[in-house]
This record gives sequence, C-alpha cells and structure tokens, in this order.
Amino acid sequence: MVDRWLRREDERLLTGAGRFVADLRVDGCLDAVFARSEVAHGVLREVDCSAAREVPGVAGAWSAADLPGLPPMPDAREGAATREWPSLVRDRVRYPGEALAVVLGDDRYRAEDGAARVRSRIDPLPAVVTAQEAAGLGHVALRGEAGRPIDDEVWEQAAVVVESSYRQQLLMPSPMECRTILCVPGGDRLTVWSGHQAPHRLRSELARLLDRPEESVRVVVPDTGGAFGSKSAVFPEFITVAWLAVRLGRPVRWIEDRRESLLVATRGRGQDQHVRLAADADGRLLAYELTVEADVGAYPHLGVAFPMQTAWMATGPYTTPQVHATVRSVLTNTMVTYPYRGAGRPEATSPLERTMDVLATRLHLDPAELRRRNLIPPERFPYRTPTGRTYDSGDHVAALDLALRTLDYDGWRAEQARRRADPAAPPVGIGLSCYVERSGGEKGSLHDYVGVEAGEDGGVVARCGAASSGQSHATVFPALVAETLGVEPARVRLIEGDTDELPGGVGSFGSRSAQIDGAGLQHAATLLIEEARERAARLWDLPVEETAWSDGAVHPVRGTAAMGLSELVKRTGPLRIDERYEADMAFPFGTHAAVVEVDPDLGAVRVLRLVAVDDCGRALDPAVVRGQAFGSVVQGLGQALYEGVPFGDDGVPLLGDGLLDYLLPTYAEIPPIELGETRTPTPRTPLGAKGAGESGCIGTPPAIVNAVADALRLDHPERLQMPLTPDVVWRAAA
Amino acid sequence: MKITLTVNDAAYPLDVEPRRVLADALRDDCGLTGTHLGCEQGVCGACTVLVDGEAVRSCLMLAVQCDGVPIRTVEGLAGADGEPHPLQRAFSAERGLQCGFCTPGFLMLAAGALEHDPALGEEEVAALVGSNLCRCTGYEPIRRAITRAARDHQNGQFHDRRQ
Repeated sequence: MVDRWLRREDERLLTGAGRFVADLRVDGCLDAVFARSEVAHGVLREVDCSAAREVPGVAGAWSAADLPGLPPMPDAREGAATREWPSLVRDRVRYPGEALAVVLGDDRYRAEDGAARVRSRIDPLPAVVTAQEAAGLGHVALRGEAGRPIDDEVWEQAAVVVESSYRQQLLMPSPMECRTILCVPGGDRLTVWSGHQAPHRLRSELARLLDRPEESVRVVVPDTGGAFGSKSAVFPEFITVAWLAVRLGRPVRWIEDRRESLLVATRGRGQDQHVRLAADADGRLLAYELTVEADVGAYPHLGVAFPMQTAWMATGPYTTPQVHATVRSVLTNTMVTYPYRGAGRPEATSPLERTMDVLATRLHLDPAELRRRNLIPPERFPYRTPTGRTYDSGDHVAALDLALRTLDYDGWRAEQARRRADPAAPPVGIGLSCYVERSGGEKGSLHDYVGVEAGEDGGVVARCGAASSGQSHATVFPALVAETLGVEPARVRLIEGDTDELPGGVGSFGSRSAQIDGAGLQHAATLLIEEARERAARLWDLPVEETAWSDGAVHPVRGTAAMGLSELVKRTGPLRIDERYEADMAFPFGTHAAVVEVDPDLGAVRVLRLVAVDDCGRALDPAVVRGQAFGSVVQGLGQALYEGVPFGDDGVPLLGDGLLDYLLPTYAEIPPIELGETRTPTPRTPLGAKGAGESGCIGTPPAIVNAVADALRLDHPERLQMPLTPDVVWRAAA
Repeated sequence: MKITLTVNDAAYPLDVEPRRVLADALRDDCGLTGTHLGCEQGVCGACTVLVDGEAVRSCLMLAVQCDGVPIRTVEGLAGADGEPHPLQRAFSAERGLQCGFCTPGFLMLAAGALEHDPALGEEEVAALVGSNLCRCTGYEPIRRAITRAARDHQNGQFHDRRQ
C-alpha cells in the first residue's frame, strides 16, 4: 500500500526507527557532561577536577586551565572590539550555567558522577540582566538604525501621537530534542553528527577552530527533533567536545538535557522597546519611531546584530511615509540571545500592532478600518520602505478581509456590545494584527547549493544544502523535482544534511528552504531537462529545438520515439546538474485575529478563537505549510500568555523546576484555531514560494494581547506586558 | 542487579545499577532507541512506554522496578505481521507529527488508553493529548489522529496484541 504514509519521514518516525543523534551507537563513545556555574556573574578563583578523575568510569575531567589549547568561540562580528568567549570559563563567569569543566565518562551516569565532584570557587559579582541597567555600565555591543530621524514638527503637528513602551520577553525555543553532537575521529577525518540547521556552516567553523582542512571534517545531520532557530550555531560545548574527540582520538558526544538547556540554550527575543506613532485626523499614519534596547546576553556574537532585523522591518505593512528605528544591543549576564522562530520580525510586528490599536481607540476608529486605510495596496509593489526593505509583492487588504470574514468580525463586535451592556457578562475582546515578515535570508545567505542527478536505474537524486528538523523536506522536495521532470515522485529521493554530498550549503533557517532551495531544485531540474534534450539531439542528430520533454522523457517533436532518463544515462553517461542557486529575499504577510474572554477578578484569559491568514506565495505542499502554520500559532500563543524567563535577584533564571516552570502550551491551552490562506507568489523566483512557518510567532502574539486590552478597555496598554499571566492581567484590570 | 526486561515479548537479561532509569535501560541496554528523552523530569512524556499495560514516563521509573514485567515500546506497536498499528496509520494520515521526536510517547500513551477503553470519548482523548508536550504540531493533528484511530478500532480494524 503506497499511500499508507503521507510523508516519507513518517514510517521510520512512527515505528521507532528514526535516528536522532542520541540514538547512534558508536563503540567506545564517551559521554560529555559539563560542570556548570551556579552563579550568573563572578570571578572564577579555582576549579578542581581531581576528585572527578577518581570516579570509576570517568575517562577524564578538565577545566580551562587543563586545556590551554582549547579554542574559544568564534567571534562572528565584523569590526568592533570584542570580548572573548572561552569554551570553558577561564577567569570570569558571565552567565549562569557557563561551563567550568568538562567530564568524559563511559556513559552519562559516570560522567555525571564525575561532574558532581568537580569543585569550584567563584567570587560572585552583581549580575545585570536588563538592557537598561547594562547600558548604564557601558556594555553596548552594537548601535544601529534604519530609516532617517523624524523632525520634531511632524510629531508636533500630527492630530494624534501615541507613545508607548513594550517588552519582548526572553523565550526558550524549546525543541523537544535538545542540542546534540557526536564527534567520531577516524583516520584523517572527523565525522560530526549533530541535530543542526546549518551543517556546512558547522563544518567550516569546526574546521577553522580545530585548525584543520575543511574537507577533513564531515558534518551529518540525521533526524532532528525540532530546532526553531536554536540549532544553527556552533556552541562552546560543541567546540569542547570536538576538540577532545580529536585530542583523545576517541568518539565523544554531548547530549544536552532539558535542565541544562533551560539554563544555557540560546534564547530568543529580549527587547525593551519604545514607540511613537503619529497619524492625521483621518487615521493616516504620518510617522513611526521605534527604539530598541536589546539584551543580547553575555558575549558579543552573531546574535548581537539580529535586532537590526527588527529595525529593518519596523515599517510593517503600512504606507507610513516616515519611519525611524534605532537599536542598541547590550551585553548582560544571561546566555546569549539568538534566532528563535520569527527572529526579529515578531519584535517588529508586536509594538507596531499594539500601538495601532491604541491609535484606533484615540481616533474612535475601528481597528480594522484604521489598518485598511494604511495597508500597502497591491499596485504599490515592489514597495520600498523608509527602513530600507523592498517588499516583493502583497495583497494585504485581501488577507485582512479574509481574516475578518473567517473570524466573523462583525458578529463578535455585536457580541462584545451585547456583553458591554450586561454587567454580569464576562468581557470579550477582539484583537487584530497585520504583519509582514522577511524570508529567505539576508545578503550572504540568499543562495544554496542544489543538485539533481539521474541514475541508470531510472531513479533521480535531489541534493540541497538545507537540513530538515521536522519540515518534511524528504517529502516535499522530491515531489517538486518529480513535478518539474514529469516523473513519479517515488522515483525521486532527497539527500541533504551531509556535507560530503555537496560542495557547500547554507542550511535551513529564516524560512529559506522552500523559497531558496525549492526554487533552486526546480531550476536544477529544468537544467537537467535541457541537458537531456541536448544529449538526445546529438544522439538523434537533430537540432535541440526539434526535441521536446514530457513525462520524464525526451522525444523528437515529430515522431513518437521517446527516451527516458534511464536509457539516456545508459547511452550518454552520468547526468548530474549541480548549481549554486541565488535568489532574493521575499516578504510573506497576513492578518491574525483573536477573540478572548477575560475574567477581570482572576486575571484569567480564555482565548475563544484564533484566526491566522497567511500568504507565503506558492505553497509547495499546502498541508505541510498548514501544519507548520498551526504549530507556529501555538508557539505565538505561548509567547502571548505563558512563556518567559524570570530572573532572581542573583541573575539566575527561576526555572529550577524545568518545564514545570517554563510553561510550554499543552493541548489544554489550545483554543479553536482556524487557518486561512491567500496566495501572492513572489515574482523573485520562477517557483513563487515565500518562506512559511514563522508566521504564527509573528502575527499571533499581538493579536492576543490586543484582544485582552480590548476586553479590558485599557487606556494604558503598557500595563499589559507578555506573558499575560493572571497576575499581569489582574493588575492591568485593577 | 541482575534483572530481565521483557520488552515487546523479547527477553533482555541485564545487569543494571539500581539507579538506572528505565528509559536508559531501554535505549542503551536493549538498543530500543525509539523511546526518546525530552525532559527527564516526567513533564514532556516523550519517553512514555507501557509497563504491564499502563502508560508510564520511563524517565521516572527505575529499570529494576520492571524486572519480569511486560513492557511495550514503540518498536512493538505494529502487529507481528508488520501491519502498522491504527495509531501509526492515523498519525501519518492526520499529520500528527513533524519532527517526530515526541511522537513515540504520544503513540504509547494513546495505545495504552485504547487498550483500556476502546471507545475513547472526546474528553478522554483531550486529556490524553494534554498529557504530553509537542512543540511542532500544535496538538490538534494529534487529537485528530487519536480520534481517528479510536474510530478505526471500533470499526474492527484494531489489531489487539493481547489476544
């Protein structure tokens, strides 16, 4: 039965035959466990591993002092002076959980026994976890801006100016599988298995850090249990494990557990924001100003620049003529921030959309009408924003209208009026959020390596530099190549996530795989058809124009003889197209809407309805896109209502009880969610796909918060800061 | 301690430390890596297996507690003839998995519940789905999958391994 499994990934994942890194068995492999700092900030006086080394089954234990050659984290920033991030703490602890020593054991039990016996002495220093406090200490790692400063008179002359402050709280991406790495040295090579989003980048970085030729390192990404942005970097633990594996000549692995993940995995968001939004009396937006203070964690690193994404996207989906965004990234005593699903776009959408609702209230305008008056109309694309983006395409009003219809907006407004007239009825609120985001990547990552190869057996192999962590690549990409070639999808299989298979690769992040790798694979398949026609033309002694391609075979325009790929390869030799495909970024968009009921006495928020209308251009597999959109909405719900990283006065996250403290949404929290789609292909590739999957994290949180503010009829929305816990809502309602 | 784990009808004589948790024994000693560890504190449920027919978090149970007790893991979910369990079919059909890491836990949790009560109602299914964590799907597809499998079961398409 061919159709038993809807996806090619399903059979192995449903039968226990999936292979995640922790499932791989390598003889003689040592488990790494890190002894970690319990303080957020302090001077390291001493690390003593001697007792750890005496533990039976412990193969070794090392502090930084024991490993003078251990390379530090690479500093990916350009220019600006830096602060070195050692892979094991040398003299100063700068974030809670930072690794003081590594213990290798025959298994994790032995290694944990050893780590428990590592003794350390740290003189604590005050910990700084907010950007404002840290900026006062001069720890600014980056300043940037997008757009031009707005003249005072614009604000002075506007009919309405709304000013407000927001917090985009720190979030844990929380893939169900934490980080993993298994390093197996053998001969001249080092094979690295890792649940990772960017295998080629990991290979380059490890090769550089280990000072060995790139081709001597092979990175393989097996099944990966989710990532959401958090598995795209190299981490201190990775460096330590890889370095020790090479030094000892033994396989070593690090399988992060949830406890350490909550302490030391990269976190997302982390911005304090201030906005000003000006409009005329008709509600036409005149100017928008966004000031971002980003707390980016303890060390300068790639994530320092990510708040610029927020600045570039500050314009949002509106025709606001003047927009100015400034960013200050500030070093604090937390683990670093890094992309988490949405990565900079949720932080752009949320302050703007929340402020739009306040503006609507001030103008006595319906929030939907205010947005309608300002959304960029379809005929204005490509649209160059004041913050430097050129949006490719869009029909924002269509998405707004579909969301309103799907929600039954007018019906809920009537219900709201009814309840407002009835003092006994619990208040309901309706919240909207129109968003535009960016997919595909930034300059320097807007390409990927792709390949399509036809075999003698009639099979086709597609290769690309992406790496799936749940996005169904093995199903979606072969189907696309098969469609392009006109063959049965079953004949095409995908190879990805293996640096030995392609000369380069960029990976899967920033909603780029379908848009860039997909378009690239389609292009490569088209080139393969051209090559097949040329070869057949030579065989048949015909001009190429007199050959044609259909249903996976080349044939003469006149006549019926056709030659399939298998026969062509047998007669003319190997047929493989490899391409470095480059495209431009694209701008998916949509409207999300929420209806909530609030109990002002308890601060409880009940989401009655969520609607998410997304436009990601052409969807390669609509059901796969919907699946991601739905899961993304639920992560957005998590940011709005549940998730956050609270800190104690000592700067240590108050997450000691793990996932009992960090509240991921469960099924009990899932409201009725309805998805809708509009389809505006990007003109920037023949395929027309824009990125998908991040929309819920971007569009949903402000829709929910706006709905709560609407229910409470708040004049001071600043009192509502995510997550909207009962405590926050109760205080705001009081 | 010398124990014998009986997993999916196969005997695994083991010599384990008393502190060894069942999940580690299954994964590392029996080589049954379909059972995944997501939190090791009993919250996420990715490691759920059936012990004597009851769904348990195998990260919260010691291997020595399971000496001689029948255990079922995701590797033993399909029928002896290799025919997939209705839950496995339903999870695929309803797109109840994306990355697949949490999936074995949901499957075993639901398998145990279906064996206890073939006529699972809406509330029971909701309580089941609410017991475990998934970060990809948003749960609704998992709910549909379990509901579909329960329906298939009642239509007599359920292969009961206990018979």
